[in-house]
Amino acid sequence: MTELRHYPGKPLRLRLRQWLENTGWYTILILFGLVTVVPFLWTALMSVRPNSANVFRPNQPPQLIPYPGLIGWGEGQREAREAGFYAAPAGSPFGWWRDFTPVIEPQLAGTSLEPYTFAATTANYYRVWTDVNLPRYFVNSFIVALSVVTIQLVTSSLAAYPLAKMQFQGRDVLFYLILATLVFPDQLTLIPTFIMSVNLFGFADTLHGLIIPFGANAFGIFLLRQTYQSIPNELIEAARIDGASEFGIWWRILLPLIRPGLATLAIFSFVGSWNSFLWPLLMIRTESMYTLPVGLAFLEGAFTGNLRTVAAGVMVATVPIIIVFLVFQRQFIRGLSGAVKG
Amino acid sequence: MRGKRRRQLRQHIMAYGFMVPAFSFLTIFLFIPLIVAVYLSFTRYNLLTPPEWVGLTNYERLFADPLFWRGLRNSFLYLIATPIIITLSIALAIVVNRNLRGVYLFRTVYYIPAVTSVVAVGMIFEFVFAEPGGLINGVLLATGLIQQPINFLTHPDSTLISVMLVTIWRGIGFYMIIFLAALQSVPEELYEAAAIDGANRWQQHLYITVPGIRPSIIFVAIISSISALKVFEEIWVMTDGTGGLLDSALTLMFYLYRQGFVNLELGYAAAIAAVFSVITLVFSILNLRYLERNND
Repeated sequence: MTELRHYPGKPLRLRLRQWLENTGWYTILILFGLVTVVPFLWTALMSVRPNSANVFRPNQPPQLIPYPGLIGWGEGQREAREAGFYAAPAGSPFGWWRDFTPVIEPQLAGTSLEPYTFAATTANYYRVWTDVNLPRYFVNSFIVALSVVTIQLVTSSLAAYPLAKMQFQGRDVLFYLILATLVFPDQLTLIPTFIMSVNLFGFADTLHGLIIPFGANAFGIFLLRQTYQSIPNELIEAARIDGASEFGIWWRILLPLIRPGLATLAIFSFVGSWNSFLWPLLMIRTESMYTLPVGLAFLEGAFTGNLRTVAAGVMVATVPIIIVFLVFQRQFIRGLSGAVKG
Repeated sequence: MRGKRRRQLRQHIMAYGFMVPAFSFLTIFLFIPLIVAVYLSFTRYNLLTPPEWVGLTNYERLFADPLFWRGLRNSFLYLIATPIIITLSIALAIVVNRNLRGVYLFRTVYYIPAVTSVVAVGMIFEFVFAEPGGLINGVLLATGLIQQPINFLTHPDSTLISVMLVTIWRGIGFYMIIFLAALQSVPEELYEAAAIDGANRWQQHLYITVPGIRPSIIFVAIISSISALKVFEEIWVMTDGTGGLLDSALTLMFYLYRQGFVNLELGYAAAIAAVFSVITLVFSILNLRYLERNND
């Protein structure tokens, strides 16, 4: 209460109201934050459970609090558990596995927390990482997304330049042709593109079959044309008078200037390609060519009934992307909202 | 005179040269497929034997096909998600637009679902919806609020709604950012003036915020409607590729997938795609007009 008197300008009543209001806002923020985060946490919780997938058991308290149990990586988890090892001497036959349960369990015994705890393990992660070729799916997804982004950036930034800044016959016709194709849903072209890719180009079951059909992006051209239009014509004219070639103008002057537009397109098409599911599902048959979403979707088939392993796979697939997003969040959010606003 | 014409010619060659790469890709993977798509819808085709012209047979069969009507109904039912997403994301945008400490953190967290793949989100919600040990059923059963687990994904009546909840959950953060950008462009003075005139907070939002972000509302309404009509991946993942018990969550896009790529009736699937395109065309043209207006 004494602290409030430091601000004689504001009556106590107003400050109290302000405090109540802020509390209300934070309640909403936190509640919705929980709605967003809890499903992820739930998956994380499942992915470290050692035995049954159920946190909630009939007539028993829920096991919500993990403590380190069987932790490690490599072969020999069973041996480590049987020996109850928690600090094996150097050269122990159990690889990197240590069972901390015998240390921690007695400490918890008898406390009121005990019924809510369980021994967490990294075994599910080890299993999903080795039994299913997740690292390979990662690499595949990365190769595909990176290639799609690179090719789209080149083709779109090249094509958008004359459409925005050059005078030539047929310009409007071509631009409206591109604009018109934006009206049709991808689903319309899905079947013919599939048939051509499989029967004509032999793209079935190849990674380039996931890249080449997305070599140009009508929306990207539209987006970059707008970015080019914001560059003053005088700049280009001056460069032409100085004797710069069109290609030189594009490469040295314009590309650095449209960098924000390029970043938007890059993020937009990277996220799109990384998350795309239907096309790789149709094109890829061989397991070693799966992209991450396809591999994930088939995890449930690979580990029937073993939801803990599936949950570990989901974590491995989502957490890296979330970290990348957190690092580049400003660019991401500006990029994605910039792209939809056009 | 001749110099000028030569320069013009050079400009033309340069201009078309710049566009060759993009237009090669677009021609092969967009323009030609668009035409072929229409042609295929009048044929019978299974990838192995050449397409056989059957006239309007596919369309006749389509309109007599109960599963097509089921898909159409479910796709339109899915549009219910749109007003819910819009309302929730505007409300959330208003909250995160306030000058509160740490509000950036919340914005970032809300956006996480938008960068997570639909497949992963679908699987996460399979764990949340699982019965009896899933998150929701587990909590409700343990607290005694329900006696029998809720069949989120295992009952024909609830599958579509459960999947819709996931779409809403994943969409809110994404659309919130669009609305946030719009809110920040509404002039602050308008609120001050309204406050002086005695408008309360609720009235201020109703008479200033909503009209102020109207273009964004229209835009989001259009794009979220299109993506609601197109919904496929969530359904595939959460029904394990089956379309739900008794085809209860079969959407138009899912039916297209099944006919085209499971049954290999590619001509018939092309007819579904054509009908589907006509439906989304209305929304797309509205969208395009919006984009163009923004452009001017």
